[in-house]
Amino acid sequence: MIDTGPNIVPLGESAWTVVLGDKISRALHQRVTGLMARIASARLPGVIEIVPAYSTVTVFFEGNAKAIRTRLDEICHVERNEVAEPNGHAEQSEAAASRLHTIPVVYDGPDLSYVAEQTGLSTEEVIRHHSEPEYLVYLLGFAPGFAYLGDLHPALVLPRRSSPRTRVPAGSVAIAGAQTGVYPLTTPGGWHLLGSTPVRMFDPAREPAALLRAGDRVCFEPVG
Amino acid sequence: MIEIEKAPPFATIQDLGWKTGRAIGLPRSGAMDPLMLGLANSLVGNPSGAAGIEWALGAGTLRTWEPCELVILGAGEVLVDGGPSDALHPVIPAQPGTRIEIKPRSDHRFLYVAVRGGVDVPSVMESRSTYLPGGFGGFEGRRLRSGDLVPVGPAVHAELGVSVHPRISAGPAGEDVQLRVTPGPQWERFDERARETLFEGRFMVSAASDRMGYRLDGPAIIAGVSATLPSEAACPGAIQIPDGGQPIVIMPDGPTVGGYPKIAVVVAADLRVLAQCLPGRGVKMSRID
Repeated sequence: MIDTGPNIVPLGESAWTVVLGDKISRALHQRVTGLMARIASARLPGVIEIVPAYSTVTVFFEGNAKAIRTRLDEICHVERNEVAEPNGHAEQSEAAASRLHTIPVVYDGPDLSYVAEQTGLSTEEVIRHHSEPEYLVYLLGFAPGFAYLGDLHPALVLPRRSSPRTRVPAGSVAIAGAQTGVYPLTTPGGWHLLGSTPVRMFDPAREPAALLRAGDRVCFEPVG
Repeated sequence: MIEIEKAPPFATIQDLGWKTGRAIGLPRSGAMDPLMLGLANSLVGNPSGAAGIEWALGAGTLRTWEPCELVILGAGEVLVDGGPSDALHPVIPAQPGTRIEIKPRSDHRFLYVAVRGGVDVPSVMESRSTYLPGGFGGFEGRRLRSGDLVPVGPAVHAELGVSVHPRISAGPAGEDVQLRVTPGPQWERFDERARETLFEGRFMVSAASDRMGYRLDGPAIIAGVSATLPSEAACPGAIQIPDGGQPIVIMPDGPTVGGYPKIAVVVAADLRVLAQCLPGRGVKMSRID
């Protein structure tokens, strides 16, 4: 399906979701980030929060759904035309706001040898493939401060565990599909655990509470 | 101070939750039945968003250690120093040493204890709600236990007037609850038969339901085209349809994003009615736009 035009659908009575596509890609992420900035700078009355995801932007609001919808239609129309004839403006402003984080990792996770076995790699190669790329934070969700990072080296792409663990410790560095991430809290989880980090991804007493935000870049540095 | 002399199996401090934070994965959290908490707060003269005790799954006892005014809404029975409370005067004027026994109802899951001045636990990111999966907020980020001493805040001048809602109760336990829903973001992915199943089918609240999500047992709803999608924003009330076809309704502590298609969204006024349903309660859905 080729669909570059935004499609706006309701998420209940108090949110609109703008759908820009149905894939995971850096190009789509750029559009998501650009559209988010446009909506934020329009300062629409009643907007509470703008939530980015892989291929959507969701606008939560209080008040008149139709009024917000009308303004969103206008903003999306402009965005669509400028994407068709890019001038590079949106990309530049987005790059300036992106921060690079280096997260130290001890690669001693319980699934390291399983991942090596399944991918036909040595554990050293698994560590190298995981720690070489500069990842992009596509979105946060699942748990407070949990960032979905991509794109994982193609050789490391595996389905989730067939039965999720009931308890994954906070700080676990894990992979699943084409994604990697760090568990901010001790929660149940179905990803493969490669290692752990002492970095606190989420601390409600800190400002800001979440270490990462959408659009940031992350590198993993093997230690120990 | 209010002492939790004997805690019920599940009690937490809740207010109306985090207004923002979805962009960093923080759920709204807050009361499962915001209307009932708000009413209880109004009756003691608090703003509707003051923190109170959300109490579930059993009986217990409170003891007050300072003069305070309490309202307990949604309980089956409340005994004050061994005697029945006065239903016509719901505000309990408690003194140091007053003992309040609380018994739940058999047709509601959550009841609320509001105190004039509100429960004065530290505010975390501008809410006093307890978010158990994260172990933060509320009273030390955990459920209340017997022996806990819950602080009471100073009374503030509240807005006047009690907002009255046509559906305070979830209705008698034997009756199905009727939930109004709006079409969800992936409505178009479900064919006529799936939509019919949603509106014609009768579902039951599963025992596998908690503050994060309520599962509904009943006829399977199958998406016409590819089911999962790249994760996108969700919200309390969203009805997710996983591959097996059994709906899951996201509740206040549920995830802020998800990859399951959302066929519909329960309207906010009815979500608290669902929240109050005990396992086994029948649920029917109807569409509004």
